[in-house]
Amino acid sequence: MNTIITVFRKELIDTLRDRRTILFMIVIPLLLFPALFQIMFSVQKGQAEKARAKVLRVACLDEGGTSRFREMLRESEGIEIVDGIGRGEVTRLINADSLDGAFLFASSFADDVAEMKPGRVDFYYKSTDDASIIRDRLRGLIERYERELLDERFQRLEMDQSIVDALDLKSHNVASMEEQVGKTVGGMLPYMFILFCFIGAMYPAIDLGAGEKERGTMETLLTAPVNRFHILLGKFGVVVLSGLLSAAVSIGGLYIALKRSREIPPEFMEMILRILGWDTILLVLSLLVPLTIFFAGLLLSVSLTARSFKEAQSMISPLNIAIVIPAAIGLIPGITMSYGTAMIPVLNVSLATKEIIGGTIQPGHLAVVYVSLIALALASLWGSAWWFRRESTIFRS
Amino acid sequence: MIELHDVFKTFRLSRQQKREMGAAFRGDTVDAVAGISFSCRPGRIFSLLGPNGAGKTTTLRMIATMLHPSRGTITVAGHDAAKHPERVRAALGFLTGSTQLYDRLTAQELVRYVADLHGVSRQDYRARRDEIFAALDMEGYADRRIAKLSTGMKQKVSIARTLIHDPDVLVLDEATAGLDVLSSRAIVDLIRRARERGKTVLFSTHRMGEVGQLSDDVALIHRGRLLFNGTWEQFSGEMQSASLEDEFIRRIEAADR
Repeated sequence: MNTIITVFRKELIDTLRDRRTILFMIVIPLLLFPALFQIMFSVQKGQAEKARAKVLRVACLDEGGTSRFREMLRESEGIEIVDGIGRGEVTRLINADSLDGAFLFASSFADDVAEMKPGRVDFYYKSTDDASIIRDRLRGLIERYERELLDERFQRLEMDQSIVDALDLKSHNVASMEEQVGKTVGGMLPYMFILFCFIGAMYPAIDLGAGEKERGTMETLLTAPVNRFHILLGKFGVVVLSGLLSAAVSIGGLYIALKRSREIPPEFMEMILRILGWDTILLVLSLLVPLTIFFAGLLLSVSLTARSFKEAQSMISPLNIAIVIPAAIGLIPGITMSYGTAMIPVLNVSLATKEIIGGTIQPGHLAVVYVSLIALALASLWGSAWWFRRESTIFRS
Repeated sequence: MIELHDVFKTFRLSRQQKREMGAAFRGDTVDAVAGISFSCRPGRIFSLLGPNGAGKTTTLRMIATMLHPSRGTITVAGHDAAKHPERVRAALGFLTGSTQLYDRLTAQELVRYVADLHGVSRQDYRARRDEIFAALDMEGYADRRIAKLSTGMKQKVSIARTLIHDPDVLVLDEATAGLDVLSSRAIVDLIRRARERGKTVLFSTHRMGEVGQLSDDVALIHRGRLLFNGTWEQFSGEMQSASLEDEFIRRIEAADR
């Protein structure tokens, strides 16, 4: 035990003095969420404000005779009517951003409306993210016009408007707000935590394996009167701690980002903070422990095989993809926790975290996830120990 | 005391290594060490000589239990290397020219780390640390990170970490390779002092001057086999060339014929 602690302590000091590892283990996970939130909100807010304040250039082709809508457009703030455009030019001009939208009234429009038939109007717009605000502004105008026409019809027919409402439908979603948020926000969070566990463990693993071989310091350890498995456990401990620290720091970063954000409504914020309570965080971290042990074993085995830091990096890059894919599958709607998915590494953590945040995790599923992860962690530890004992691995040249 | 009896080390070759051996090479394995036997006794300095690729480093790594012999027995300070590798390593101080130090630790932290790995008590550590740091004049940079030290300073730190557990046996593999005269002198002094204190010293070197200065016993190894094993007096008595370098080359060339 003393040897393990001695190696662990030394490797931890060594790791914490490496700027590159600190960058990947602490700085990036801590700053990523606040930076992401800041950029996301400020860009979104800026774009939305721009779209709301923009003077919209609108074409209104109403040869069929409806001067009322043209009049409504003229009375509306932030609308500029563009005349002299042929019907065939509309699409091209909108695509070229010369127009923001166009209303093309059918030639029979006035007659159809007079006969209380639906009058056809073609509404042209270009839908991108910020253009949804533009589209909504223009659609609001045409809908106001439609309401006017309907009012006229009801008055003419001397009817109450409620006659068209055959149902008084009121929807009630029984899913709690936590569950709804958990299933949406909760999908993204495990993906980030899994990724940080891996990235946080990656650099120390490369440094303590291939890095040590490349620097020629391994002999100091190999000629000490200690069991190689104990040396490995000391190194293993630092790699696992780094991965977990990285994930924990990212949770801290997320908390800071939420607290600092002024864009999130207070009631929504209160609920998110309630979801991310200590019990949830500890339960999620308890899943990440065996997962990180699995990562550590995998990463150390690859790192010990490599001859240099660079070679280890290039060998580990494909592993990144192998980790990201099952983590990302957990984001797909419809992929849910079952006894089958509970046994698939990485995906099981992704799904279980989603369920934990949503408060819908079933104890049976959770137990299978733990058993599967612990078995995997032990196999990975055994594998790296076997690998570390091989002469051809340590002295590979 | 170090004793090797009929020791072999066979390596399985990778595809690339086989290609590098040339078209004439047949087989999947190569004997880096092929049946060598010798003894290094306490209070004496044993020089292991040989050209590059002769099997010196493999032999020394087997003695240090980093590699396992494919055949034969190795005993260090009375412990069988195969049965009790940890006891062997506890009795051993291993210093090579290629072993590097942990750049991000200070000189003192590194020496303390090695002492802890060897299970040196706090009291013994303090006494030995003070003695070694004073003898090697290391106090001035004991708390400086190793990355900031000069090559000579680093070499002294290497010596300090090799001696901190007061090993009975010293194994030095090309320990002076690439060092300037002053740094090499520190190693040579270390070897002499170890002999005076009755330690067993086994060292390999390419510097023939050091062999003549220091050796009590000499072994010459080539292609994994011993060409000579005896005392320095016997070796110099049998010399047919004007210098040690010439004699070394003569014996190697004679073995190749």
